[in-house]
Amino acid sequence: MNTINFNEDQIDVLKEFMNISVGQATSHVAELLDAFGTMHIPKISIKDMSELNHIIVENIDKDSNYYVMKQLFSGKFGGECIFIISEKSSNNLGSHLFDIEKPLKDDITDAVMELTNIVTSSIISRLTEELNVEVQFFAPTSNFLQAANIVDTDDVNTYSKIIVVSTELEFKDHNISANIFILTKDEAIISLRDLIDKKIEELYS
Amino acid sequence: MDDLKFPEILLNSLENGHFVIDENFTVTYWNRWLSINTQITSEEIVGKSLKDFFPKINYKILQRKIRTALRLSTPTFYDSNSNTIFIPIVRNKVTKTALKLMQQQVTISPYIATENTVMVSIYNISELHETKLSLVKEIEKVNELNETLEHNQDIIDKNIMIMKTTPDGTITDTSSLFCEFFGYKKNELIGKKASVLKSGNLPNSLYKELWNTVTHEKSWSGEVENLTSTGNKKWVQSRITPILDDDGVLIEFNAVYQDIENKKLIEELYITDPLTQIYNRRYFDQLMNTISKKQRKADTDFVILIADIDHFKSINDTYGHQVGDEALKDVATTLKGTLRDNDVIARWGGEEFVIMLRNIGLEEAQMIAEKIRANVQTTKVCDNIDITTSIGLTKYILGEDTNLTFKRADNALLKAKASGRNLVLTEL
Repeated sequence: MNTINFNEDQIDVLKEFMNISVGQATSHVAELLDAFGTMHIPKISIKDMSELNHIIVENIDKDSNYYVMKQLFSGKFGGECIFIISEKSSNNLGSHLFDIEKPLKDDITDAVMELTNIVTSSIISRLTEELNVEVQFFAPTSNFLQAANIVDTDDVNTYSKIIVVSTELEFKDHNISANIFILTKDEAIISLRDLIDKKIEELYS
Repeated sequence: MDDLKFPEILLNSLENGHFVIDENFTVTYWNRWLSINTQITSEEIVGKSLKDFFPKINYKILQRKIRTALRLSTPTFYDSNSNTIFIPIVRNKVTKTALKLMQQQVTISPYIATENTVMVSIYNISELHETKLSLVKEIEKVNELNETLEHNQDIIDKNIMIMKTTPDGTITDTSSLFCEFFGYKKNELIGKKASVLKSGNLPNSLYKELWNTVTHEKSWSGEVENLTSTGNKKWVQSRITPILDDDGVLIEFNAVYQDIENKKLIEELYITDPLTQIYNRRYFDQLMNTISKKQRKADTDFVILIADIDHFKSINDTYGHQVGDEALKDVATTLKGTLRDNDVIARWGGEEFVIMLRNIGLEEAQMIAEKIRANVQTTKVCDNIDITTSIGLTKYILGEDTNLTFKRADNALLKAKASGRNLVLTEL
């Protein structure tokens, strides 16, 4: 399961892909959520699933609560996107999208879902476009969880690699930090690596 | 939709709601499921704005979702857990739950991009949602129970002394109170044998009995003296229970302890003469009664000595009671120091001491008594006062009333006194 590794060149290309995808996501967020903002250059890494818990803990505050959106996407490049956003950031987002000072919890969830939808669709669509594969998105599930309860052991057992996208969005006066974890299976990660190799070949030929 | 007869039949046969709208919310298709469930027919709504029929929908958000679906060519979704129902539909199903309106999963998919239309699909997820809600309730209950359990475990950990060991006696866990009581840190005990706590003062027979009981899958209770980390001795009441797995195989021992230091102290005070710190008459009487009642062969082979300090009254009168007390303490120390480990000595009253020499013949007992007498004679009270003692002794006769034994010893003592004191005499 953990034998699929990426070398430095492959990781560089993946980062380039993700930067472009996140850039596209930023422009979609700005356009569709009427939120003129910027998304910082994301920190991208690729890790083994066994490290999921450690990575999540590293990226979040263990004493806070988080909105956790999970969205399955199926196809040759199948997997699951986990979008983790802090309670404070979610409240800011809810205020902005619903245009009210104190949004209801349902409104916040819906706002986070919208953002998740745009960001994950942009990133995954871009990747699958490059991979030349079809992908189908399923309805996201939402949970409001304590940091310690975010990792589900089923996730760890189902997938093999994680593409970690850690970024920060700035919406007007609000800072919204979010972490995106793309959980992938062996087949998907091999497709991705093959694609990256092809791109590297193109670059050097 | 006229050229899509087949898909229309297909959409009408689905058990989900599907309608097509544009960015201005004008409905261009409304399937049969929606007609039935909303009581609004296709003829009534097609060509009109959704706003006219469902004014409570947040159209700003709906518009955003439509735009996202069209712009990204990807479905967008409403939160299926939301309490805000997209199109309120009363459930037909008779239900005891609070879910009176149909819980919906709403997906907005791009339909014809050039016409800026999307298909809104509504799935009835009420039963799934009900199951989820009841599951959430159950999880909450389990969490509450776990919290109570953790709280109770914390109370137990802090208030009850517990030690767990493997079947071979290796310590696997201890409660905080156990560690605190014996002055250990938990990691200093884990992995050690439980025998590190033995004080060494208890007979091996007790440990044999304990081991024999617990290895025969029975609980053992008893008082044991254990060692603390600093070598101090502490008495505890212990109950050791063997724990078996489902197949009846012994997997561990659980030992629960109770501090009985105060009880032991009271017991000690109850049977100790406060001045001389040897046993008092109460203890000796109990011992004699037990022997007399039980008549166990091993306990009935003994000689009784009664020792009386000569001219004690004159020591008191001449030097005062304080010196008299010193004389009593010195004599008690001398007597104790002359006896063997198994012998028992008690203060009988006033200046009299009673001694039980166990498992001994009369001749050997006379030699010990003589040694006692000689040792007392060399004792100097307050470094300069000479002192002597007279001793009467007799051997216990199997089956006799112990009062008779005392009577003979006392007679012998009286004769020793009458014969000039500082003397050992025997009455058979």
